Amino acid sequence: MAKPRRSRRPRTTLIILVVASIAIITLDARGGLGRITSGVRTVATDAFSPIRSGVNDIVEPIGSFLAGSVHYGAVRQQNQKLQNEINSLKSQSQQARQNEEQLQQITALLHLPFVGNLNTVPAEVTAYNASNFAATVDISVGRADGVHLNMPVVTGSGLVGQVVLVAHHSATVRLITDGASSVGVLYGSPSSFAAANGQGAGKPLAVNLVPAGTPLQHGELFETSGLNGASFPASIPVGTVLEARTGLTASQETVTLQPLADLTRLRYVSVILWGPST
Amino acid sequence: MNARDAAKVTLVVFLFLTVQQTLMLDLRIGGVHPDIMLLLPVAAGIVGGPGRGASMGFGAGLAADLFLPTPFGLTALVGTLIGFAVGLATVALDRSSWWLPVVSAVLVSAVSVVLYALLGSILGEPQMLHVDLTRIVVLVAGVNALLAVPAVRLVGWALPAASTEGMPTSTSTLGLR
Repeated sequence: MAKPRRSRRPRTTLIILVVASIAIITLDARGGLGRITSGVRTVATDAFSPIRSGVNDIVEPIGSFLAGSVHYGAVRQQNQKLQNEINSLKSQSQQARQNEEQLQQITALLHLPFVGNLNTVPAEVTAYNASNFAATVDISVGRADGVHLNMPVVTGSGLVGQVVLVAHHSATVRLITDGASSVGVLYGSPSSFAAANGQGAGKPLAVNLVPAGTPLQHGELFETSGLNGASFPASIPVGTVLEARTGLTASQETVTLQPLADLTRLRYVSVILWGPST
Repeated sequence: MNARDAAKVTLVVFLFLTVQQTLMLDLRIGGVHPDIMLLLPVAAGIVGGPGRGASMGFGAGLAADLFLPTPFGLTALVGTLIGFAVGLATVALDRSSWWLPVVSAVLVSAVSVVLYALLGSILGEPQMLHVDLTRIVVLVAGVNALLAVPAVRLVGWALPAASTEGMPTSTSTLGLR
């Protein structure tokens, strides 16, 4: 009896590519390929930056035009001239509010009370979350501006995150809400140490290492510890207590923090030119 | 595949990557954005069979990995697996039907998101399982369903005509050579 036989070529291709993928992941994680992939990523990001901003420059006016056309068409039947004037005034008012908000954010970045003598580089946030599985933002400064891996990023309100990828003129920042983020923090008087861990974008931080029964008030401030080998300099405001409770048999208190920086509406940030070894 | 076909494929991957890195990153609903890079292995699997689906998934995945903060190579691994699976699953189906890309895009998007999170957590990123997977699946599958047919047309233009790879290629008679 005749039996169909399948070509083996696709299966061989699959095996080769799966093995190649796993090898790349493993070597990259172990550092063997780290420098190469980091270099390739830097080149790719640098090459793509002008394309990204060019496409955005093209797409934004088209989107505005289409939105404006739809709006314009709807009001044409009524009172075109009057409506346009109202729209223009509203737009101006909104623009003025946005400008004022931006000015406040930039002014706050110029007077960061918690950075002391450390130098900072202001940056604009250019993109949010490149992956659905990580809480990150892209910023407009990079190696050319003195930014390096692991440097802390802040707003006028407090800690934002840490630089995890650097290209020539841009960088990616892992937010403190990202599940892979852990920040050493101090709280209370006398100061006690704890760790604030991210739980995903938009979620509060979970604090570990707080002994059961520790009296914590709603709104109490947690700051970076700056202990030896810490990833952040000391005394940067991280968040305030949102909830603190202890289970009957728990050895630790369950504490959540609300980040002080508004991580969902970041527009301008500052990179602190500081590394764990400096 | 000759140089002209390779250039076409590169152009299509570049186009998808550009749209993903610009329009799709801005098209954010509830903190989640679409992922149209998944359409490339799906379309290549339908158009060219399991081998080309896997190759496209690997190449497009590596390109996407350049811009992601997740482990480098993870998207390539997922792309390879889904490209092969789509090519294999659709080998006996009418590849010219309009519904095949749509259904494939929805199913593959859902499976890929979960597979991506699972593999990521196995590879030392446990937080990847702590995201709102349902919301990601719904948005990614929805947008990919809408774009599946044009994606297949575009990949069909770039890849050589549908091959018979993965299909029964010959018959052998037991006991006879």
